[in-house]
Amino acid sequence: MDLSSQLLALMGRSLDAPCAAVEEEFNRLALALFAAQYNAVTIYRRFCERRNVLPGGVGSWSQIPALPASAFKEFEVSSIPAAERTAAFYSSGTTGQNPSRHFHHARSLAIYEASLLPWFERNFRPSPSMKLVFLTPVDVPGSSLVHMFKTVRCHFGGADSVFTGRVNGDGSWSIDLESTLAALEGSHPVGLLGTAFSFVHLLDHLRAIGRRVALPEGSRVMETGGYKGRSREVPKGELRGLISKFLGVGEPGIVTEYGMSELSSQAYDRAGVFQFPPWARAQVVSPETGAEAGEGETGLLRVFDLGNIWSVMAVQTEDLAARRGNGFELLGRSAESEPRGCSLMPEVTNGL
Amino acid sequence: MDSKAQPVNLPNYFLADLPPEAELTAGLITEACQTLKRNRERYLEGRSTEGTLRLLEGVAAEWLSPDFPFRRMVMEAGPEITGFTTPVLSAGLDQFFKLLTVENLESLLWQELGHPQRLDNFFPNERGWGSQRVALAQGPQLLAHVAPGTLPVPVMMDMVLGLLTRSAQFIKCASGRAFVPRMFAHSLYDADRKLGACMEVADWKGGLDPLERALFAECDCVIATGSDETLAAIFAKIPPTARFLSYGTRVSFGYVTREALRQTQSVVKRVAADVAAWNQCGCLSPHVIYVEEGGTVGGETFADLLAKELQALEETHPRGPLSAEEASGIARRRSFYEVRAAHSPETKMWASNESTAWTVILESDAKFQVSCLNRFIYVKTVAEADQALHGADLIREKISTVGLAAGAADAPELARKFARWGAKRICPLGQMQSPPLGWRHDGRPALGDLVTWCDWEK
Repeated sequence: MDLSSQLLALMGRSLDAPCAAVEEEFNRLALALFAAQYNAVTIYRRFCERRNVLPGGVGSWSQIPALPASAFKEFEVSSIPAAERTAAFYSSGTTGQNPSRHFHHARSLAIYEASLLPWFERNFRPSPSMKLVFLTPVDVPGSSLVHMFKTVRCHFGGADSVFTGRVNGDGSWSIDLESTLAALEGSHPVGLLGTAFSFVHLLDHLRAIGRRVALPEGSRVMETGGYKGRSREVPKGELRGLISKFLGVGEPGIVTEYGMSELSSQAYDRAGVFQFPPWARAQVVSPETGAEAGEGETGLLRVFDLGNIWSVMAVQTEDLAARRGNGFELLGRSAESEPRGCSLMPEVTNGL
Repeated sequence: MDSKAQPVNLPNYFLADLPPEAELTAGLITEACQTLKRNRERYLEGRSTEGTLRLLEGVAAEWLSPDFPFRRMVMEAGPEITGFTTPVLSAGLDQFFKLLTVENLESLLWQELGHPQRLDNFFPNERGWGSQRVALAQGPQLLAHVAPGTLPVPVMMDMVLGLLTRSAQFIKCASGRAFVPRMFAHSLYDADRKLGACMEVADWKGGLDPLERALFAECDCVIATGSDETLAAIFAKIPPTARFLSYGTRVSFGYVTREALRQTQSVVKRVAADVAAWNQCGCLSPHVIYVEEGGTVGGETFADLLAKELQALEETHPRGPLSAEEASGIARRRSFYEVRAAHSPETKMWASNESTAWTVILESDAKFQVSCLNRFIYVKTVAEADQALHGADLIREKISTVGLAAGAADAPELARKFARWGAKRICPLGQMQSPPLGWRHDGRPALGDLVTWCDWEK
């Protein structure tokens, strides 16, 4: 049985199992992936050699070298031959930076979807054939978020589901407020999904026109991602409060998603703590030592995602987090390292 | 880290001494400013320059003594409050207070005003115009400082300049950054209460509109240091009657010629000292060291020696702990270069073990990189100075200091080249964070921008 079949089997039986119960299988697959990716992904092999951590030399998934997410910007982190790549997801980096690229083909997308759907269903809890309103454009080939939303629509959305975002002339996204508000009419529960910045636009608009929408009981909201200067920044707690106030969806109906174009699995937060599905693990590591940080200590998030079969399974993110029990609390992006007390042309740090 | 919540027990002379629960109001600021101006008329305006110089020299001498109570307080509470370790604070303060001698202060007055008593009386110019045309210089009545975030020395330097010009001074520090300037103000108060009564030290978070407007409304001169946005925001609040002296964020780099590499070890030691001074957090600290190819050692050996020297300094002058955010910034950059280094010999990285204490990145690409600081230094090899200047083109408008190591024969031409390109200060490596008393901040006069003149055509 190849690795993807073994992973699909693990996915099939691990959703309801406690982490410890699948630990052995997780570890076995992680070590197998490490060996395979060490051989197949040149930049990863060089990275491991520089660290002098080689397959065969580690016994636990947690010792597998995590490739910095920035490597996806400069290098082709993929074992899929160029001719076989049918899709690529790009990070929505800030201007002047190379975006991360995560290459896919039919089999890797199948794994992506197999990872996405059960964990989304478990956390978002859509009702059957729910009307889903997505606050993103529908046609953005390089966006893993849009791909995720289209997959979700295909599997969970009713026929009246709709995308209300659009791509502006400068490539940025905005939402069509009229069609969004029109889509939120009706007496059946809806699922409203979008980036945090699209919610801020929508909520600002509702406030400006003095209107509150009372979404029917059972409606759900999913917000994701940062702001990247595209709207005013609203702290997460405040955003959830505004969603409750202006959209009528209470805290239990709101879920925050954490995803990256470099990963194949997503984490969701329902009570302040994010969790990945059992086939992905998060660690928080001390920025000083690289060792795992203690409970509640701020550090950098590291993700081991078995869904990344054809790229690199162990990814060192640039996000700050703190471990909370089995999950993690997200604390934002690490500082873009400006001189203390200074703010200096970010474009100078090209590539960072 | 809030200076108001610190374990230092001192009388409440300054607003920064107030307990944390005390709230600053616009009314309180206005009242403090008016008191300062009254005190200046009574206690400061009629002083002699000579007396002020002697007082400053005396206070500075005390600061250089390990037993001086204010120094002890800075050394004891400073690491917790400022984030700098005791050896880093100690080295930085020694460097500053050694400058404050009567001789140096007089030289500064000669340089800036053409005569050391120009603030006391009318004097003719040394040359030209004859003795029938004389002039007297005067400082602002009330000078406000909007001090930059991190380093205490630039604020204290400006406080000294304000004292020389007999201005009452309101020193507004960044939130939580008032500690060392406050200790300096206390030491002056201790030496001369009347002089101390012409100073005020406070800290609040930048941008607090009512407080800042109240302050600027009372001032006839404002000195501010910060980012372009900060300066623009301050400028918008300053009444047209007040003079605004603004100092933007600047960056610096080092340049080592192949000739200078004959003394590699000494150059490396000096570069390491520049990186470690104030943990590289000032505008005068180097981000990049350009090293010419073709010397006795190549860039890689240079970087390797520099890494060893930074490790040695970590043992004698440790950098100290950082916030998780700052440490993550360093970790993030290191990981970026770690991947590059794994990929290609064009990039190499040396980094402290199990900590973010220091990092050296060697690259053959001459493009200037803004460091994340806290002892994170780039070494870049270049064929000649023009290649370095081309690589640094993006920061040309922002350049402050070039730390130069060159042979005696090459130095003058290189200095001219850097000056024409835009450098505001060229100094030997090892002294980048130790400008002399008379240095011209951002290329502007030290006292010349503070004073106004009265010409008397007899």
